[in-house]
Parts: sequence; structure tokens; C-alpha cells
Amino acid sequence: QNILTVCFSVGYSAVALNHVIDFKEKKQEIIKPVSPSELFPSLPIVQGTSKRIKVLTRLTLVVCDPSHCNLLRSTSANIRLYDIIAVFPKTEKLFHIACTTLDVDLVCINVTEKLPFYFRRPPVNMAIDRGIYFELLYTPAIKDSTMRRYTISNAISLMQICKGKNIVISSAAERPLELRGPYDVANLGLLFGLSENEAKAAVSTNCRATMLHGETRKSACGVVYTVKKPRKVEEEETAVPACKKAKTQA
Amino acid sequence: AAAFERRVLRRAAEHHYLRVRLELPDGGARPNAAQFKQLVVTALRELHGEVGAALPVDVLTYEEKTLSAILRVISSGLVKLWSALTLLGFYQNRRCAFRVLQTSPFLLALSGNSRELVL
Repeated sequence: QNILTVCFSVGYSAVALNHVIDFKEKKQEIIKPVSPSELFPSLPIVQGTSKRIKVLTRLTLVVCDPSHCNLLRSTSANIRLYDIIAVFPKTEKLFHIACTTLDVDLVCINVTEKLPFYFRRPPVNMAIDRGIYFELLYTPAIKDSTMRRYTISNAISLMQICKGKNIVISSAAERPLELRGPYDVANLGLLFGLSENEAKAAVSTNCRATMLHGETRKSACGVVYTVKKPRKVEEEETAVPACKKAKTQA
Repeated sequence: AAAFERRVLRRAAEHHYLRVRLELPDGGARPNAAQFKQLVVTALRELHGEVGAALPVDVLTYEEKTLSAILRVISSGLVKLWSALTLLGFYQNRRCAFRVLQTSPFLLALSGNSRELVL
């Protein structure tokens, strides 16, 4: 709760609380996320606008094995309660699966140790087309100097493949002191090799796109769209604008 | 007609100014001005090495009570200094954090902070 108070004072407009599930231990059950309204009875207002700060919930799955991904397809009710779902692949095959077929919003890139696999262009391009973002953490870089080197080297190798698109930088802060302001984090993006535009987008635009991706994933179960049928009757011409308005894509 | 001269400066400003605040939550000894400068240079050395530590940084003002300072750095070194301050985690084995409050190429712009306006 202290961390959230610091977040608000530093100037973030939306925060996601993360819950990590590691599949190495047996009998992992997904518990219900903590509802944000329990923590704060009324959320403070973002500086400069009149909207309230959003607090979202997020789930991270650490997968070492393709069978762990079955959890995503299962109809466990609790998984639907999370706003954003992220996956942390540990092997190259899982990275490929996560980028191409899994139904997630974020793919976490390990920053605390040397990557066991190299990024290849085809799965990364497919992920960019699907609207999946790659996530980098910056808090390990604050704690330890070896982790700093791994963070920067992994980030640079990711940049070379994806050319700076679809990157989100986030903190895995456990204490309020490990948090940094949004412009500071955008500056870190410059260190990783992003351009200024992309670095600021990594903190603002891309994060918002991830939130919307999560919302559409939660809500969309099918797509309904109407197609204008070509009619040769003249009366239909007045009805054409109404058809165009009714064309929806969920 | 009075003669006047118009000067247009096309180059970016030479120096960038940063107003920063060091957060040290535990109630230990606060650094004085020299120790603060040493801390900034250490942060630069940890991240950018000897070349970073040699970056010409000046501490223009320092208040020990609030631990806030105004730093001046050459414009080409702004990214290095800012990233070094962001990634600094410890001061004498105590957890700390740097909060950059304002940054501007002009010193006058640091006097007013639009975020602290009470509307």
C-alpha cells in the first residue's frame, strides 16, 4: 500500500499489481486477485486531469514446460478476474509458442540472468503483428550491478531484433524506494537503445495499449460484423449510412 | 528609428539543469555538500565507468535539510547523468532513491514547478 501511495505522488496514472505463479512448485492454484477497492477506499486523482488513477491486477506465469500453458486454456474462473496476463518463457520453444499462439498480453524478458536462447526474427514479428508487448524490468538494475549488465545486454539484443517496437518497461518494485518516476524510466529506455519517441511510448502509449489488449481479451468471445450487401434498388441508398454505422468490429 | 539587434540562437543550450531530491527514509546521518557530490560521481562511475565519472557535473545549490539540489551538466551528458541517478540504489549501504523533480536547459525555468500548483 505504501508503494501505491508513492506511485501516485510520483505521477503515474495507472498501476498494475502483479501476482507471480511459478510452476516448479506443485499444486499451484490461482487465487483471486486482491481487489483494489480494498486497498484504497477512494483513489486519488491524476495530476492535471480529472480522472482517477486506475489500479489493475496482473498475473505472471513462469513457464518452463509446454504443459503449463494448458492453464491458460482452462476455464478456471479466477484467471478471468485478472486484467492483464503475462507469461515468462524460459526456453526458446516456449518463447515461440508464447509469441505465436498463446493468448497473453505481455511476454516478459528475463533480465536477471543471461538469456538461454537468442531472439529470432519470425516469432518476434508475429508477436508484434498480434499486438503482444515485450516487457523489461528495471528494478533488478537498481539492486545489483551484475543484474545491471544483464538487463542492458538483454535489452540491447531485444532491440536489435524488434527495432524498438512493442516494448514496455516496468518495475518489479517491492519497496517504495525502488520505484522511479515515469520520465526517469523513459530515460532508461534511451540507455537500452530506443529512440526518444519510442522510449516515452514504452512508458505511456504501449502500456495503455496493453491495458486495452487485456480488456478486449476479457470481453471478446466472438466478432460480429455486418457487411453491406450491394443492392440495386434505389430506395436502399438512403439506408446505406445506417448500414455503415452498424458495422462493428469487436 | 532606434537601432536594435536580434540574435537567434540556433544551437541547443550548453548546459542542462536538474533539480533532484535524494530520499533517505531512515533517520541516519545526512550527507553534506561534498558527500553529495561524491555520491553523484560514484553513481556515474558505477554505471558509466571512469569516462562517466569524469563528466563535468556541478552542484549549484544543496540543501541538507531537504536533501534537494540543483545540478548542472553539459547537454551531451544529460542522458548519462540522469540514467546514473535513476539506477542508484544505495548510499553507504542504506537504501535510497533519487527523484528528479524538474529538468530544463534554462536555470530560470527551475524556479516554478507547475506540478506543485494547487488548483
